[in-house]
Amino acid sequence: MTDKKVAKTPVLVLDHIEKSFGSNKALKSISFSINPNEVIGLIGENGAGKSTLLKILTGIYQTDAGTIEVNGKKVKFRNPRESVASGIGVVHQEQSLFTNLTVAENIAMNSGSGSSASSKFGFYSWGSIFKTASKTLSTIGSKLDPRAIVGDLPFVDRQMVEIARAISVNAGSGGCPLVILDEPTSVLERHETEVLEREIRKIKEFGSVIFVSHRLDEIMRNCDRIIVMRDGELVADRLVTDVTEAQLFKLMVGHEARAVSHVRKGLDNSEVPAIEVRDLNRSSKFSGVSFSVRAGRLTAIVGATGSGREDLVRAIFGAEKIDSGTLLVGGKPVKNWRIPKAVKAGIGYVPSERKVEGMIGGLTAAENVTFTHPGKAAVGPFLIPKARKKIAQGWFDTLDVRPNDISQELGRFSGGNQQKVVMAKWLNSPDLRVLILDHPLRGLDPGAAQTVNEQIKLACEKGAAIILLADTLEEALEMGDEVLVMRDGEVTSAFDLAKDNPSTLDLLERMV
Amino acid sequence: MNFSLASTDEQRENLDSLKRKLGRAWQSVGALVVFAAMLALVAISTPTFIGNGGITIIASATAPIVMVALGQAMVLNIGSIDLSNASITVLGALLLAMTLGPLGGLAPVVVIIAVTLFGAINGLLIAFTQVPSFALTLGTFGIFQSAALVVSGATTIYVSENGGLISVLFQSGIAGLPFTYLLGVLVAVLAWLFLRFTRPGMAMTAIGKNESGAIFSGVKTRWLKVLAFALSGFMSGLAGIAIIAQAGSASPMGLGSDLLLPGIAAAIVGGTSISGGVTNPINVVFGSMTVALVPIATAAIGVESQAQSLVYGIVIIVTVALTLSRSSNSIVK
Repeated sequence: MTDKKVAKTPVLVLDHIEKSFGSNKALKSISFSINPNEVIGLIGENGAGKSTLLKILTGIYQTDAGTIEVNGKKVKFRNPRESVASGIGVVHQEQSLFTNLTVAENIAMNSGSGSSASSKFGFYSWGSIFKTASKTLSTIGSKLDPRAIVGDLPFVDRQMVEIARAISVNAGSGGCPLVILDEPTSVLERHETEVLEREIRKIKEFGSVIFVSHRLDEIMRNCDRIIVMRDGELVADRLVTDVTEAQLFKLMVGHEARAVSHVRKGLDNSEVPAIEVRDLNRSSKFSGVSFSVRAGRLTAIVGATGSGREDLVRAIFGAEKIDSGTLLVGGKPVKNWRIPKAVKAGIGYVPSERKVEGMIGGLTAAENVTFTHPGKAAVGPFLIPKARKKIAQGWFDTLDVRPNDISQELGRFSGGNQQKVVMAKWLNSPDLRVLILDHPLRGLDPGAAQTVNEQIKLACEKGAAIILLADTLEEALEMGDEVLVMRDGEVTSAFDLAKDNPSTLDLLERMV
Repeated sequence: MNFSLASTDEQRENLDSLKRKLGRAWQSVGALVVFAAMLALVAISTPTFIGNGGITIIASATAPIVMVALGQAMVLNIGSIDLSNASITVLGALLLAMTLGPLGGLAPVVVIIAVTLFGAINGLLIAFTQVPSFALTLGTFGIFQSAALVVSGATTIYVSENGGLISVLFQSGIAGLPFTYLLGVLVAVLAWLFLRFTRPGMAMTAIGKNESGAIFSGVKTRWLKVLAFALSGFMSGLAGIAIIAQAGSASPMGLGSDLLLPGIAAAIVGGTSISGGVTNPINVVFGSMTVALVPIATAAIGVESQAQSLVYGIVIIVTVALTLSRSSNSIVK
């Protein structure tokens, strides 16, 4: 830590904060402070205690011990409203806007019911709501219409509304506002991330930021200081200039990053492709798409929002209709393509909407693992619980799922561990022919991401053809044997990575 | 210092896990405990009740309720509801009363096939037109009711011949319990085995918990919905047979026509979730016995007839409040 003299009072001082749930010590004596106009990166694996810490700062949980000071004043938040009143605003990981209300109303929710400007005697004062909203939006340099209905806006614009709402907390309180960005980039495409990074720099001019992200490169780019948590403890508090990405990884996970070796096989056109599409069309989603993936190869598809790549892979899995064109599985054309047929043909799909589409949160982890391809856990229609436990325990040990309790409901696990189970669900298939991965690393901490990536490579080596929609272009280039670029529903170019060596800029140029 | 901390932690953990275990245990026996408590109350206030065949009375009143309730539980488990089940029971009972003479032993088989088809039609319409089950079965409820009126000519149909084939079911089997009740228990055990130990059973529960998740796991959700409604039709038909066994006759507005709400109440008192994905057929049996006991018990204790519905309502609310699983979240539909 540096002992630079700071004249101004810190925005936030945490002194020996502790919090336990039952026997589980979620936070062990956490102390740090944040100065005005400082961007703090908060990193740690799932379960390291970040979420607990944020919930304490936002008044959802109360501390067991320790003190919190905001702008020099000692505080004890009993509920979220008190946290907002003292100038702490949050942009949640999962958006928490009222989608049926206007932008302005959403922003007014924070500056709020208490302020007399937005309501008189419990009645809305529409004029001042719109005026305040426009002012707040212009502070962050957004040109959104305050009268727009939030549900009609694209994701990145909704995030702008969240940010506007978060910074509107200090309207009146005078102190320096503290904005918490809880994994805001995990669901954004790359160019949208750039918009967000610009916003962080804007907020820095008048407030402080706690930026939570699993992407270490983003943390390095945007933060002044980085706080690393592991197992409920603060293991490092470093200036960004004093630390490297590799060091951060080691601090977070507790061991060095394992090198992921990758031998590119090139594209052998003599084999029958595991999956092939010819001139595939779906009106207003994608058109004239042709490509094929052979066993043991990985094709990454990159594209901006609206490129149609999500719709394309969902159509290959039978989840969306195909208007015209041919889909061939193992060289044979298929008809009336539906998910059950695709599953039977050996196709697996790891969706980006993990909680909704990827798993049954109310069933146990073991039941989820053996749900689609039970293997020995079923004889005909009959389930064999003993075999189910054995299979699930095997996957839990292989994938290091934590907590190591297969009989717990899957919904109770953290995101990264849920994703490991979703992977196991498809990998448990004895003859997995094609595996479609839609943003498989979304929201995962680096440790879990590495496990998932290793399993992708392993499945590939065992002979599955893999279609990957990666979070980043770097990920696509690192993992792929081939990269397809899509724009406006069409494949604009294809790179055989054994021969070509495109840069991320080459890809980006063809995406937009 | 460290030592004392560790031991309190351990104690707290033990306490937590004990609490969780107790909670789970309570959910699985709660319905039985409530039933036993009510029965004890009746036995104390009216000591002659048990001696005078009170148990047999409760068991025979339970029989049609438990069958309808088990069918409803299967449908609730996939996140739907069947409002037409009681009208299928009545239609089934009428068809049985009419065919028992000409067809003899074949009649129950024919009727069971027919009611299962009625249920399957409900399921097919819901799965392939996507009309919500509440609206669709509200519609078919009216249709089956009309069919019952037309078939019977709006009068009571008495079993003319071969009545003995069915009425034998109302005689006592084991421990003074009628065969109709024992059949209900058997169906409950089979339903429990089906949900716990078969792939389609687990897939149905998965649909109730998260339909999208089930679809994206390759489950043929439409056909499983058809199956759930067909099972509801089948079990409603069994209730119709129980009614013929008990009364020897059927009428469109008579026995069985008011089974819809007791059936839902019994399923819920037995721990079935109205929003899907949670049910235990064994507990539905106790739920049904509780629901069947209330009017008998209030009459036995001597509650005025005007107040019986009041007691009924209170018992349902209290039982559900006592046995409900609140672990997952605080949002209740």
